[in-house]
Amino acid sequence: MISVRDLQKNFGDVQLFKGVSLEVEKGQAIVLIGPSGSGKSTFLRCINGLETFHGGEIIVEGTVLHPVGGNRPSRQDADEIRKVRRKTGMVFQHFNLFPHLTVLENIILAPVEVLGVKKEDAVRHARSLLERINLNGKEGSHPGQLSGGQQQRVAIARALAMKPEAMLFDEPTSALDPETVGEVLSVIRGLVEEGMTTLIATHEMGFAREVAHKVIVFDEGEIIESGPPEEIFTYPKKERTRNFLSRVLRL
Amino acid sequence: MRWFLKIISLLAVLVSIVYLGHHSHSSQSTLQKIQKRGYLLWGSDAEGGAPYVFPDPHNPLKLIGFEQDIAGDIAKQLGVKAVQSQNAWDSLIPALERGDFDMAMNGIEITPQRSRKVLFSIPYYVYSEQLVVRKDNTDIKGMADLKGKRVGTLSGTVAAEMLYRMGGVNVKIYSGQVEPYQDLALGRLDAVLLDLPIAAYYAKPNPALKFAGPPVGEGLYAIAMRKGDAEFKQKIDSIIANLIRTGELKRIYQKWGIWNDNQKKLYDSAAQTGYVGLNESRSAPIAGFLPMLLKGAAITVAISASSMMLAIGLGLVLTLLRLYAAQPLSSLATAYVEVYRGTPLLIQLYILYYGLPNIGISLAPVMAAFLGLGMNYAAYESELYRAGISAVPQGQMEAALSLGMTRGLALRKVILPQAVRIALPGITNDFIALFKDSSLVSIIAMVELTKTYSILAASTLRFFQFGLITAFMYFVMSYPLSLLARRLERKLKGAK
Ligand SMILES: Nc1ncnc2c1ncn2[C@@H]1O[C@H](COP(=O)(O)OP(=O)(O)OP(=O)(O)O)[C@@H](O)[C@H]1O
Ligand SMILES: [Mg+2]
Repeated sequence: MISVRDLQKNFGDVQLFKGVSLEVEKGQAIVLIGPSGSGKSTFLRCINGLETFHGGEIIVEGTVLHPVGGNRPSRQDADEIRKVRRKTGMVFQHFNLFPHLTVLENIILAPVEVLGVKKEDAVRHARSLLERINLNGKEGSHPGQLSGGQQQRVAIARALAMKPEAMLFDEPTSALDPETVGEVLSVIRGLVEEGMTTLIATHEMGFAREVAHKVIVFDEGEIIESGPPEEIFTYPKKERTRNFLSRVLRL
Repeated sequence: MRWFLKIISLLAVLVSIVYLGHHSHSSQSTLQKIQKRGYLLWGSDAEGGAPYVFPDPHNPLKLIGFEQDIAGDIAKQLGVKAVQSQNAWDSLIPALERGDFDMAMNGIEITPQRSRKVLFSIPYYVYSEQLVVRKDNTDIKGMADLKGKRVGTLSGTVAAEMLYRMGGVNVKIYSGQVEPYQDLALGRLDAVLLDLPIAAYYAKPNPALKFAGPPVGEGLYAIAMRKGDAEFKQKIDSIIANLIRTGELKRIYQKWGIWNDNQKKLYDSAAQTGYVGLNESRSAPIAGFLPMLLKGAAITVAISASSMMLAIGLGLVLTLLRLYAAQPLSSLATAYVEVYRGTPLLIQLYILYYGLPNIGISLAPVMAAFLGLGMNYAAYESELYRAGISAVPQGQMEAALSLGMTRGLALRKVILPQAVRIALPGITNDFIALFKDSSLVSIIAMVELTKTYSILAASTLRFFQFGLITAFMYFVMSYPLSLLARRLERKLKGAK
């Protein structure tokens, strides 16, 4: 359902991706791990069209993103990017909720303005999403009044309100207090169990091991190893994977 | 550097257009226009205008003065009413040329230079220059004693020319007729030379001053009309001749205490009526002037509020062009902001009001004030919005885009509402600044609060009392805005 083929991406003169490929099946939960600066965020952002790239292609459910390098995408490319964004929901490390809107307004803004959903329908859907993330009663609050964990759950609901076919999570729990990490992870776990296609960049190794169908290890802009979690975590083939895991698991 | 040169050459072109351009007038004759609109519009300066034209101390909304009387008589003979158009004295001739009013009458002396620019009626007053000194002065008895002395007079007048031509006189030039006498009384000047009507009104009642010698020099006041208004001039000439013949002019001059034997050159008969002197203006109750000040304040508020609207709207357009438009547009918007911020508002107002007519665009004073203030402040608002927008975290735009929004939609629904919240205290502060800057539009014939103040103060010499009252009125209006700005600032800090 998502295929990344021979992806190349530069930042200025520095080439980060020298040809990365990945196939994601429908319903698959893929966890991206790897040292800081290895390219996990950039990879997800490319799929969501937030970063342009310089070579290869990304196909999401038949819609193709082309490399445009550092240029502004043409009108046609911009349309394709928006189509892809409607199919993939993105959740950011720092939530990026709209602080001037209430929880409910955050959730219904895009369905109403982008998809043209009737407001009553959007509100009804938003309420059912809030129930699902255990936040009913908070629809009138502003993001600033919520804890980090609550904000991140609203951000997930906001992405789900667009009825995406896949969800991209970029370190969804890294900015959270330890006691609220669990509530966010359990919402994600629920999504995976329902069969949502998910890509998650995370440093939570326990969680990765538990929910991932497949673990991808990034290092210096390359996928150095991939496979089922029990294999990666117990018998890593690569020296670099072993080093990385021993470093993070010791912490 | 290249864009800088472009701007410089653009300015050069603009300036040369403004100074070299000539303009034309509509085909309808002035006389027809007056009949059609039902009133005669005459230009003069009521600021420091006594006894020519100035606010009545008993009813300051009404103008009085000997020229006000003459204008009323002329209008009556034309079968219409007279309406005064307020203008700085220096700019009466340019304003006449641009067609702001039908004629100018304000102690305008007939000189060869002026005769080249305008059409003069037959004279309506024979003026002479009166030398005034301090009461205790003994060494200045006449013009011959002025060598090496500090002598005050008005800019652009015949008196100034006389002083310059004498040579050896330390001439001090003023733009108002009140200040030279004040400086004389304070010892900053040794003498003042000004037209007799001015001396009669301002200097004679002052116990610290006295006339030195008899009036000197002799000249003629006449009504200025546009070149080409020959038909109108003929009509005005016959009306003035009639006023002289019937003794109406003499009656007016005696009423104002400016009659003298020189006027016999114009006519002979006589009559006598009441006259408002400086002492009367000085002692009239302050409360009587309040309606006029309130009217000025209302105009100040209206001008400030409407130009702020323009500034807010235009500022937003400029910001969006600068941040998101394609190349030529975005640079132009940036150039607009830099030019408007880098040049004085006063110059911008002058160009709008006095400059544009040279290239055929004539704006009404209200329009010029509205555009001048609005376009200037738009540049400042644009900067505020830009700062507001860049203070919204990058993640907000990314989150909006990742939800499938277009840039425009994200801007409208996500970025701008937050940017406005950030910019709001600054916008409120700018509104306060604009409110005070609106006093500058008094130079383009707008009689708002500051202009009202200077007109009243100059005709009554109560600069202090009226100054305090006017300042208080500005304060009462701007202080609530300051409080609002502070509250918004606190709220913004709280929200973070
Ligand atoms: N906008 C940018 N400009 C220049 N370099 C960038 C930019 N964004 C990312 N990079 C570089 O690309 C590399 C990959 O960054 P990325 O954020 O994708 O890593 P990551 O795996 O998500 O790291 P982390 O675990 O710290 O989030 C890093 O070396 C980073 O410095
Ligand atoms: Mg990252």
